Amino acid sequence: MRIARSSIVNSQSSRETMAWRRIIITLAVLLPLIGILAYGFTRDPRYINSPLIGRPAAPFAVTLFDGKKLTLDDLKGKTVFLNFWASWCPPCRAEARDLEAAWQTFKDGDVLFLGIDIQDTDEDARAYLKEFNVTYPNGRDLSGKVAVDYGVWGIPETFFIDPQGQITYKHVGSLGSALITAKLDEARRGIVSAKEGKGAYQAVR
Amino acid sequence: MWRYLLILMLLMPAAAQPAQQPDLEEQTRQIAAELRCPVCQNLSAGDSPSELAQQMRAIILQQLKEGKSPDQIKAYFVSKYGEWVLLAPTAKGFGLLIWVLPFVALAAGIVLVLFVISRWARKKGRPQPTPVDPSLIERVLREATAETVLKVELDTESPGSLLLQEQARLYADLRELEFDYQAGRLSEEDYQDLRHKLATEAALVLKEIEASPATRAGAAAKVSETKAAPATKKTVEIRKAAVAGWKLAAGGIFLLLFGLTVGVLLTKSLRPRGSEQDSITGDFLTGTGPGGVGKSSGMAGMPGMEGSSQDISSLLVQGRAAYERQEYPKAIEAFKKVLASDPNQPEAHTYMGLLLSQAGHADGALLAFDRALSVNPKFPLALWGKGMLLFRAKEDLAGARETLENLLSVMPPGTEKEEVKKTIAEISELSSRPKQTPKQSKAGSPPDKIQQISGTISIDPKLKSKPEAQAVLFIIVHSGNSTAGAPLAVKKIDRPVFPLSYSLGPESVMMPGASLSGKVAVTARLDKDGNPMTKEPGNLAGEYKKNPVAGGSKNVDIVLDRVM
Repeated sequence: MRIARSSIVNSQSSRETMAWRRIIITLAVLLPLIGILAYGFTRDPRYINSPLIGRPAAPFAVTLFDGKKLTLDDLKGKTVFLNFWASWCPPCRAEARDLEAAWQTFKDGDVLFLGIDIQDTDEDARAYLKEFNVTYPNGRDLSGKVAVDYGVWGIPETFFIDPQGQITYKHVGSLGSALITAKLDEARRGIVSAKEGKGAYQAVR
Repeated sequence: MWRYLLILMLLMPAAAQPAQQPDLEEQTRQIAAELRCPVCQNLSAGDSPSELAQQMRAIILQQLKEGKSPDQIKAYFVSKYGEWVLLAPTAKGFGLLIWVLPFVALAAGIVLVLFVISRWARKKGRPQPTPVDPSLIERVLREATAETVLKVELDTESPGSLLLQEQARLYADLRELEFDYQAGRLSEEDYQDLRHKLATEAALVLKEIEASPATRAGAAAKVSETKAAPATKKTVEIRKAAVAGWKLAAGGIFLLLFGLTVGVLLTKSLRPRGSEQDSITGDFLTGTGPGGVGKSSGMAGMPGMEGSSQDISSLLVQGRAAYERQEYPKAIEAFKKVLASDPNQPEAHTYMGLLLSQAGHADGALLAFDRALSVNPKFPLALWGKGMLLFRAKEDLAGARETLENLLSVMPPGTEKEEVKKTIAEISELSSRPKQTPKQSKAGSPPDKIQQISGTISIDPKLKSKPEAQAVLFIIVHSGNSTAGAPLAVKKIDRPVFPLSYSLGPESVMMPGASLSGKVAVTARLDKDGNPMTKEPGNLAGEYKKNPVAGGSKNVDIVLDRVM
């Protein structure tokens, strides 16, 4: 203390600049750190950005609940609305009626809705389809291969595929009818969305 | 033993397939360990028990069989889930930063430490780099010790007096130091160090005073040279105070802003938990909706739909870890949470059973194992738990043998299997000479007969409640007059028909060696869904009105008269 007090006179200005420098250094270290933390706050750590948009859709073959087989090749030339769901997934239930309503609107055009049930039992899945009066084709992905091929991690997950077989848009979470209409129209014309969409979702098991 | 069974269980899906080449499995494990499980947090696809991770492992094995290289398989997953799926990101682009940054930070840290140490060493090691004339220092020391007390009047208007005051103060300090040293309050080293510092400072002040033609005027000139404005002691102090105040204000404003930011972010991102399984993080920041599933309005009141499966798998991992570490309350907590969101989770039931049997609750444990096996009749850990429980605690040798033989049929060959075989052999041996069956708790206790407690149980007609088909009645005996804590004995009656007459004997006693003699309190509980872990509304309870009773009492009649 004694020493600090002693040379007030001739070191006053240099001390002031020292103090300034200290403040600036502290802020220079702290502010970026706080910035990084704040940025981390705004992100959903579970969210996985899909690299699939704009790429050709992965081929698949599923057995539908009515026993028929369906492959992606069968759907060439059609705009495909590919929806992954499970009976235990609340957001899937939330959108189920909207999807069926959209199917009723579009089914006469060159559009095909296909639901793929994942991580589910046959019994529960059938009960679900009955409960929501789903009439568009639905099948089960028993091994999880189709789900992994489409990078599914949170359901409902929906892919819009244009008539050339290219994925134009992906949406994680419940879909509303307005968005379905808009994105189906884009997919029909082959317009690839820049970003995927996001709503309330349920992580897969 | 448990650990091996667990590992074995995780390997089940792979092991269940016809004999693999072991190196393929090993390769699968290695590749899965490098991939992130998309539905877990910080778990590899190799470690995660989730369904998706199991499917990923199956896909890896399949692709290996097709002759793909590990790099090709990893590239496949990257093409589906992005770079994110690799636990160790590739050293390219942004990913490179993650690899380089720690080393940069380490290097910067080393440089900083070196810098600080060298500065410190320079200060400590060479305290002499003084540009001061040694003769001046000598003069200072001479003057200071010469008892010439410098008297400086406090002329605050004259800036020159500041230097003189400083000089006087330093001299006084030097004398004080000398005095302290003589009095033996300072070590030689400290004394020399401080003395040198003070003398150097004083010499500097002296030099300044000397440098000016007239002391005061010179000092004033000096001061006005370094300062644009003439600095008086007062203004210096005011300035100092102002700087300190400014710093305080800046710090205060910074803290305030920080607090506001955190406050706003937290209130926007958190919300009260709607239920036990709900998460507190909200839509704004994390994108997790109420119940972890979003704002879907039609979802309220849909039983069993809330509680994300991801939580279940992570809770299972937590519970298992706590169990391994023998932190049983934590484990119970975790498994209870699992059961709350998925009442049929076999693994959680199994662990509950293990925990219960460890605590001596054989009946509850048996119930839990049975629940697990009703969901998955081939669940190895539950079969093991039930078998050992029947064998050791229940002494139901036939049942134990059957259960363990079931277990044997699902186990792959190995040392574990040998161990189970040995246990079965032991059971067979015991059952072949039933007379010598060691029954520790019963052996040599003739007062057994008077330890029966019997009576009837009925439901209060006012409640008009009908027991459901799967309801289970528990008759619980606590020692003394309290009905809290671990019960002394429990009897479980499936699908009770009321009024029901019961009799409770030593076979229901939970703790080995304890008996039903002495004063006990008897209560009964009717559990709607038969799961003692969950407390549903509508469960009935009642107790014997004249509790406590003596062991061996008859007509201990209980009326279920309370709805829980």
